[in-house]
Amino acid sequence: MNSFIEQFPVVFSALNVGFLQTLKLFAVTLIGAIPLGLIIAMGSMSKFKPLSKAVKTVVWIVRGSPLMIQLLIIYYFPGLVFNNPVWGGGERGRFFAACVAFVINYACYFSEIYRGGIEGVPIGQHEAGIVLGMSKGQIFFKVTLLQMIKRIVPPMSNEIITLVKDTSLARIIALQEIIWAGQAFLKGSQGISGQIWPLFFTGVYYLIFSGLLTILFSGIEKKLSYFKI
Amino acid sequence: MDILEVKNLKKSFSGTPVLKDISFTLKEGNVLSVIGSSGSGKTTLLRCITGLETADSGLISVAGETVFDSKRGKPVSKAMKRHYQLLTGLVFQDFRLFPQYSVLKNVTLAKELLLKEELKEKKVSKAEKKEMLAKIENQAKSIIESVGLKDKLASYPCELSGGQQQRAAIARALILSPKILCFDEPTSALDPEITGEVLNVISSLAKEGRTMLIVTHEMGFAKEVSDRVLFMDNGIIAEEGTSSEIFDYPRSERLKSFLNSALKV
Amino acid sequence: MKKILAVIMAVVLVTVCFAACGTKNNEVNKETTYSIADAYAAVKFEPAEISGDDYDYIKSNGKLIVGITDFEPMDYKDENGNWIGFDADMAYAFAKWLGIDVEFVEIDWDNKVLELDGKSIDCVWNGMTLTDEVKSAMECSNAYCNNAQVVIVKAADADKYNTVEACKELTFAVEAGSAGEEIATENGFKATAVKDQATTLMEIKSGTCDAAVIDKLMAAAMVGEGTNYADLTYTVDLNSEEYGVGFRKGSELADAFNNFLKQATDNGFIEVVAEQYGVQASLIK
Repeated sequence: MNSFIEQFPVVFSALNVGFLQTLKLFAVTLIGAIPLGLIIAMGSMSKFKPLSKAVKTVVWIVRGSPLMIQLLIIYYFPGLVFNNPVWGGGERGRFFAACVAFVINYACYFSEIYRGGIEGVPIGQHEAGIVLGMSKGQIFFKVTLLQMIKRIVPPMSNEIITLVKDTSLARIIALQEIIWAGQAFLKGSQGISGQIWPLFFTGVYYLIFSGLLTILFSGIEKKLSYFKI
Repeated sequence: MDILEVKNLKKSFSGTPVLKDISFTLKEGNVLSVIGSSGSGKTTLLRCITGLETADSGLISVAGETVFDSKRGKPVSKAMKRHYQLLTGLVFQDFRLFPQYSVLKNVTLAKELLLKEELKEKKVSKAEKKEMLAKIENQAKSIIESVGLKDKLASYPCELSGGQQQRAAIARALILSPKILCFDEPTSALDPEITGEVLNVISSLAKEGRTMLIVTHEMGFAKEVSDRVLFMDNGIIAEEGTSSEIFDYPRSERLKSFLNSALKV
Repeated sequence: MKKILAVIMAVVLVTVCFAACGTKNNEVNKETTYSIADAYAAVKFEPAEISGDDYDYIKSNGKLIVGITDFEPMDYKDENGNWIGFDADMAYAFAKWLGIDVEFVEIDWDNKVLELDGKSIDCVWNGMTLTDEVKSAMECSNAYCNNAQVVIVKAADADKYNTVEACKELTFAVEAGSAGEEIATENGFKATAVKDQATTLMEIKSGTCDAAVIDKLMAAAMVGEGTNYADLTYTVDLNSEEYGVGFRKGSELADAFNNFLKQATDNGFIEVVAEQYGVQASLIK
């Protein structure tokens, strides 16, 4: 298997398997972190001081330390410290551990974006709702929510595109995502060794995927451009 | 009949008294203007009456209902609070329209939400509900027309001038038929050449006999539209009287110098 | 632009599905005569008599989780995606002998001690050189295979660099944290640490380094005629070293493996497996 033509199908299907893992991690992270981030944002804005202090400390720790360390801690700590390898050694366990680390990490980032979005809506909008006899829930869902969404779409799209690329960090706990799959051909796998192009080729996947996301988000921004805040 | 009664109202912010024992009444169908320099407590008074601020002590009653009484033992329930809220309407200095809704939707939103809440408890057919919503929409359209925005029904706030936005905000307050409609310096955020279109709307509301409480810096307008005028100075009502008493025959030096400086501007 | 991207993405996604769901219908394994299950069944072992916490732990899990990397000929995947290789087959047999299943997990080699202590794997079995570091961090078995760290240079320069002294003028690439890095430092070579052994060969090929130090077993498989690195060769043996299996510190499984290894040597089983993967010359007898 020395010619590119021979190597390509093998590499392509291996990269696809890796990319599927990347996509799964990406999707689970979003599904988990988007609502969890809102809960964390509520916590950090709570009027109950001990709660907001505690939440803010957690957010600081998570945002202030490398995701790579968090992955290592979440995956290896239960076995190392408590002698209880909750994740198990197999691929599923590594995937779940990666999901937990990513969801927590991204929820903290999202929470700060949400907080900015919520606090960015002028208090006057809330007051206007009050004098019109609206309930707190009605004011949130009918008045401030959409304004908040409009505010958070640009920073969220940044963060989500960063997430696409951050998924590659999960290989530190041997989650076999696309970079891992590409690198395997450098060392030797399926009769192909010493090939560096598969690793570079993974970049194409990232570019296409983040390109699609960029289109999606600019579409959403356009959808919300009918009003100004 | 007194539709608004304010008795011994006091309010301070972090130790600084802003309202020092305010008492006055407003008769149904009358227009009461509140004038005074910045920081005299006019806006705080308005915010206490419309429920945006809670006074420290005193009593406020609107249309015979005691909406605030510092001597009341138990706290007011959420439902009662909202009921009291709807007795008054407020038009803000900076309009505060909901940017994501069209003019029509801005006006109908609150009333629609009230209707939907009401209907939750009752069993109403879809057709009936639709009919009720259509009624609200028609009412909104005629109110919007009355403030001169007939051709802006579908426009969004960002597409309107300041004067148009303020007129839409007035329409939004009107649809809930408040017993008292309050204005907080409704033209202060507008360019001088377009204050007229807003003041005309308020004047025509006065002619219809609407009860209004207006905080304003527009002296000429206040003189023309008001039945009674309060002059506030440093947290107290320094002088009170009919429009002519206040503007034509001011008694205190304080009011005289205020009117002088206000007219110069 | 949108359409082009959409088409490309659709192609990618479809292929992902094929890769993920479809089974590859490659040609059947040519060496149909050999199967590790048959080979194990053909010989006789004394039953395992082991007691200890670690044994109880893996027994209760019902499987031995073996930490590996993709490393031909020790651990690698066949056309059907199953792990084979000299180490993989021996691990299969060892687990059989313990009466449990075997599961192979690819790990990041740098994290092998973490994986072991964190119990995400039960042993490291991947042509692991028994260095002092490895021996202090793991409970290591007796050696089962010989190896050496060798110097890789361009074949054209092979005559010039056949002594340690001559090699000192070269710039080296070594795998970070490997036995090769250790020995290069001991010999005073100017060495750059890179991600893995294969990368060291890339470094020579691309001209960023002159030479590399890697495992002799790997060198035999990866450089020279008929490989991707036909213009490279290996010259000096810098040491001789041995491969062993690493278990958790204090585990009784290391002794159990030694017992198994002795029996497999005596009854010829290990020879059968080694021949299958061409490493019989390196076996310790």
